[in-house]
This record gives sequence, C-alpha cells and structure tokens, in this order.
Amino acid sequence: MTSEEIIEKVKAELADAIQGADLPQGDAVIFVAPDSWHAVAEFLKNDADLKFDYFSDVRGVDYLLEEREPRFESVYQLYSIDHQHSIRVRVGIDEENPSVPTVSDLWKGALYPEQELFDMFGINVDGHPTMERLIMPKDWEGFPLRKDYPLTTETVTFSYNRGFKSDLVKSKPPTR
Amino acid sequence: MGLIDQAVDALETEVNNLKSNVKDAVEAMDHEYSGSLYDTILTTKLGKVVGWAQKNALWPATFGLACCAIEMMAMANSRWDAARFGAEVFRASPRQADLMIVSGRVSQKMAPILKQIYDQMPEPKWVISMGACASCGGIFNNYSIVQGVDRVVPVDVYVPGCPPGPEALLYGVIKLQEKIMMEAGTDKAKKRAA
Amino acid sequence: MSVTDQGLLHRDKDTMTLNMGPQHPSTHGVFRVILEMDGEVVQTAEPEIGYLHTGIEKTSENKRYGHVIPMTDRLDYLNPPGNNLAFCLTTEKLLGVEIPDRANVLRVIMCELSRIASHLVWLGTHALDIGAMTVFLYCWREREMILDLNEEISGVRMMTSYIRIGGVAKDATRPWLDGIRDFIEYFPAKVDEYERLLTKNPIWLDRTEGIGAFTREEAINWSFSGPALRASGVNWDIRKAQPYSGYDNYNFDVPVLNNGDIFDRYRVRVEEMRQSRIIIKQALERLPEGPYKTPDNKVSLPPRETLHTSMEALIHHFKLVSEGISVPVGETYVPIEGARGEVGFYIVSDGTNVPARVKLRAPSFMAIPGMCKMMEGCYIADVVGIIGSIDIVMGEVDR
Repeated sequence: MTSEEIIEKVKAELADAIQGADLPQGDAVIFVAPDSWHAVAEFLKNDADLKFDYFSDVRGVDYLLEEREPRFESVYQLYSIDHQHSIRVRVGIDEENPSVPTVSDLWKGALYPEQELFDMFGINVDGHPTMERLIMPKDWEGFPLRKDYPLTTETVTFSYNRGFKSDLVKSKPPTR
Repeated sequence: MGLIDQAVDALETEVNNLKSNVKDAVEAMDHEYSGSLYDTILTTKLGKVVGWAQKNALWPATFGLACCAIEMMAMANSRWDAARFGAEVFRASPRQADLMIVSGRVSQKMAPILKQIYDQMPEPKWVISMGACASCGGIFNNYSIVQGVDRVVPVDVYVPGCPPGPEALLYGVIKLQEKIMMEAGTDKAKKRAA
Repeated sequence: MSVTDQGLLHRDKDTMTLNMGPQHPSTHGVFRVILEMDGEVVQTAEPEIGYLHTGIEKTSENKRYGHVIPMTDRLDYLNPPGNNLAFCLTTEKLLGVEIPDRANVLRVIMCELSRIASHLVWLGTHALDIGAMTVFLYCWREREMILDLNEEISGVRMMTSYIRIGGVAKDATRPWLDGIRDFIEYFPAKVDEYERLLTKNPIWLDRTEGIGAFTREEAINWSFSGPALRASGVNWDIRKAQPYSGYDNYNFDVPVLNNGDIFDRYRVRVEEMRQSRIIIKQALERLPEGPYKTPDNKVSLPPRETLHTSMEALIHHFKLVSEGISVPVGETYVPIEGARGEVGFYIVSDGTNVPARVKLRAPSFMAIPGMCKMMEGCYIADVVGIIGSIDIVMGEVDR
C-alpha cells in the first residue's frame, strides 16, 4: 500500500481515534492521543491489509523550545514485513504527569525503547513491566534528554601537573 | 684414472683437511672463551634487573571500552604484532594483568567499575590512557562522560588520537617501557612494588 | 566479604546468580548480563546496559548539522560510513537535495567496504569466543587492507566521516580505486579460507547448530533486524525493501536461511560478505563521471577556485562556514541497512542550523532483550556464542 492508501484506510476505520494525518516527504504519519493509542496499535497490528507486525522504534521528543502544546511526544515507527510499507505514529503527551500506554504486550521489541523513554524523558509508560532506569545509573537525578537539562556540568582542563590535577579531583563533585 | 679425476681428489682432500682444521680451531676457541665468559662478573642493581624483566613482559588487561578497543585488538593482531615488544598476553582477569589500557570513553556509570578493576590489579601496575576521550573527554564534553580518566586512576602514558592507530599505541607501550626502565631501582619503583 | 554476604549464593533456593561483565572479554564491549543459573543451565538472563552512555544524542542537539557527522562515526564504530549515510540521507530528505549519481556510487562503495570490515571483526571475535584463534588472525589481515583503503581516501583508518551532507568529502582517487579493484580480486579466496576453517568443522558445528534458535515470529516480535532477522527466515533487507542511494540499480542476492540458530546467522553474514563484494564490483564498473557533491551551494561548499572570481560563491562559502546549513522545519526518518541491521536517524528540525532532536535507531539496542530471551535454557558456555552471533556494538546500544 502507498502512504496515501494507508492514511485513508486508517482514517476510515478509526475516525474518532485519529487526531490528524500528514504526508511529510511521502511518509504516512498519523497523530493519536495517548488514551486511544493502545487501541490504535492493536488495530494497526491485527488488520489484514495493514498488518504492521514489526516494531522499529519509539523516540521521545521534547518540544519545550517550540513552546507548543503538548510538550512531549513519543513517535512510533512501524513496518509491515509482508506488505513492505511503514507508518509513523505521533502521540502527544502533556507536561503534567507525562504518561503513555505501553505497547510491549503487542510487540516485545518495544520493551527496551519504552524503558529508555522513561529514562531519558521521564515519560511514564503505563503497564510496562520494568519502569526503572535503563541507561543512566539507578540513582541519577533528572532526565538528560529534556531540553531543560544542561548539556554539561564539567569544564575541560589540560594539565601534566599531578599536583594541580589532584586538587581538581578533590574539588570535583563525586562522579556517582 | 685421468688427470682431472686425480686433481679433483686432491682438491677434496685439501678441502676436508681445511674443514677439520677450522672445526678444531673453533672448538678450541669455544672452550677457551666459554670458561672466561662464565667467570665474568657483571654488577647491577637488582631493581634494574627486575625493571628490565617487567618492561619486557607487560600483561595488559582485556579491558575494551569503545572504538579504541578495536584498534587495541589490531595492535595485538597479525599485522602490528605487539608480541615483538612483549605486550601481547591479554589477560581476561585484572588479577593477572599489570597494564591497563583504558581504550575509549569512560562514562559516569563506568568510572566506579574502572576504579574497582584498577584496584584489583596487583602491584606494580601501569595505566595507558588511549585516545582523546580517555585522556580528556575528547569531543564529548557532556553530562555523561568523565573528562579524562586521570580523574579516576593515575595515568602513566597518554596516547592521543581518535582513535590512535595501532602504531601510536605501540609507541605508547614503548614509551611506557622506557619509563619503567627509567624508574627501575628508584624509590618510586620501590613504592610500586611495596 | 564472603560469597553468601554478597547475595551471590542463595541458601534458600537452588540457583546461583552469576554476574558477567561489564569487563568480560566475550561481551564485546561493556555489556553486563546477570545470569540466574541452575547448575550449568541459564534460567533467566537480565541485561544491564549504559556503561558506555556517551550522551551523543544530547550533544548532537547542540551542534550544527555538519558537525554531527563525526559524532555518528562513534556510535557504531565498526560501521561508521553506515551511520554517516543514515544521518546524511535524513538531513537531505528534509532539505530536499538531489545527490549526484557519482556521489551515490561512492557512498555505496564505502558502505559495502565497511560492511565487509565490520563482518570481519564479527567473524574474528565470534570465532575467538568459541575457541578458534586462527580465524581471528586471518580476519584481521583482510580488515587491515580495508582500513588502508579508508586511510587513502579519508586520512583516518576507522572514523572516516567520508559521507557528508550533499555528497561525499572528496572525489575518489586513483590509488583508492586501484586498491579496491585489487582487494575484490583477492578477497573471495579468503572467504573460502574462513569457511574451510569453520563451516564443516565438527567443533564449530557442535557449538553453533541448533543453539540460540529463534523462529520467524519470535524474531519479528523481538524487533531483530539485519542478518539476525534474515537467519530466521524473514526476507527483509532495507536495501531491497526501501532502496536508497541507488541500491535498486545493483544485482545482488539477500541470503535468507530458516533455522535462526547461531550457525545460520554465521552463514548469512559470510554470504553477505560475498554479496557486498559483488555490489562493489558492479559499483566500480558503473562509476559515472560528474560532480561528487551537490552543486547546491546552500548545502555544499562552492569549488575553491571560484572564490576569487565569484562574489556569490564567496558569500555562500562564508555563510556555510560560519553558520552551517539551515534545515526547514519538519521531522523525518530514513532507515538504511547497516552491518547489524536497520540503522536510521529520526531528526526533528526547528528551522535553525542546529537539530532539535536526533535519535538513532540502533539495531544492537533493539536486539538485546531478545538476545537475553534466547539465552534462557542454554548452557553457560553458549552464552558467549549467542552474544557473538547477534553482533552487538555497545557504542550504539548506550549511545
């Protein structure tokens, strides 16, 4: 199916669950609210014509600097191996108590990237079996990929001087 | 028997005589000199001998972190052959190694583990910081990378490059050998061994 | 502290917890897995990652588009041109730039060379984990030749950054093309040599056949990609499914096998090396004349000699060097087939010269939960074989 056909089909079947659809550079993109996302995902996976059986990825995006509502977004990329077509689903997530339902019961491959979504953006994934830090240390504070998290906390210093370096080590905050 | 055959025979006898003469002379010489060689007294510091032995048998820990680890493997491999400098015996356990090649970027999560591995290595031990990331953070000046592994463990040799080629790392190993030899027998080396 | 105090041996249950990594010679980097063992059999395997978290995505969101390319090299450090290509294709899609034919062919050559180099590292280390030392030495011998070619064209052995937005960094040189011609003549005999050492070797067969097997449905469900997916009988290669950089112009086969065990993943990758060589051969034959980067001066620098004569070229040069490329507002994703599977960057642009969001889709990262699922019920000795056969690279797992 071409991208236009996919969008038409999804719109026809799930008119009230879809907030909008777009065709940027020829990709099929649909917008879904977090509440209806799980039902939409189930339809996308099980419908015979669409049959999106392969979960490619999910990415979090923080639109803080664009100042738009909702602030967060999780973007899902799905493929159909048999029909060789793809779709991108954008789920907008509010700033207050950000959360999105899990789809790891449909695609096992979603387990890790959804956990990363929590780790990097602090977006709670409802129904996910292990909602804890994945990449960052367990006691890390803050969510690194949010736009209000600073990039760096340390300045670079060059020195061959051992004494100078050891002072630096003493004055440096603990690494954990 | 023709004249030519006679001449050939004579030549052969002459050659054989010469050979046996030379053999006798060499044997006599061997006998004479070997005795005197073994009688020779060579004085040196024990520390120097120990340092010489240490520098020619560096056992690196198999401690690959990132991109540089691939070049470290290349150094130990067929083309660059670190065995020429006695540094090819990569040990899987830090307890059997005396050289730690920090090959790649050290994250905040890895730093305590790196320190633990360093502590597990028996004295005397050395550290080579391989590549820009391990030496100073490299192009990654951000929240997750330790800006130089020398904030966690003491470093003996820094090898620059991103990643440094195997030849650069070999040069680093040779520099470390020079350093070991220079330190041999001094208080510094004593402290390491203690 | 005794073993019991650390909780490694539980008195009240019969299993033992075994920690593997992050410093372990067979985990291919700083991967850590906590195994719950019943005797020699793995009951559960719990992965722990993040020991190489580099913050590349965050750093990329603070750098200009052109400056992100060297960062992408260090993600999957065995296949840098694949990452470069994925990033450049996505940016070019947002920009809407046409890439000249010659640049596309050069990109294909570079990517396929690096696919061979990556598979050689995989084969060498994988065989070493299972106990075959010789293959390791042989594979590195051929890999060094590819690294020499990289050095000839880009000046660096591994992190080439050769593929740039709008084309490639510089035109192909004669020694480089000659070197590749020599290499592709020399290489097939060497692949046969590796196969002679391994494919019918009874020890190799015992250690690989039927171990770590995934069915077609499992492999799709756990989001495997690349050779690991194709060894389970799924004919999914992005070079064929969604062709990019003119891959639809080449004749090559995608090896697909059905058992999904370690042995089939080995055979798929070995066959891929042969197919990559065929692609390079065709690419050299059809290498067209013409520019090696797009003539659009808003994206690529104008030729050096025009700076002295053309005011416009001078302005473009100044704007590009001091400001970088400004990408129109939008978001997009272009997948490519890297050495390990589907690689792609999801880029969100806010219209400035700095990307608002850069996210790598890393095949190794997606494969890790499935890989640990695979270990359950295996012997402890097969764990290293399974890790090796999935071919994880921690640089792109932790990013």
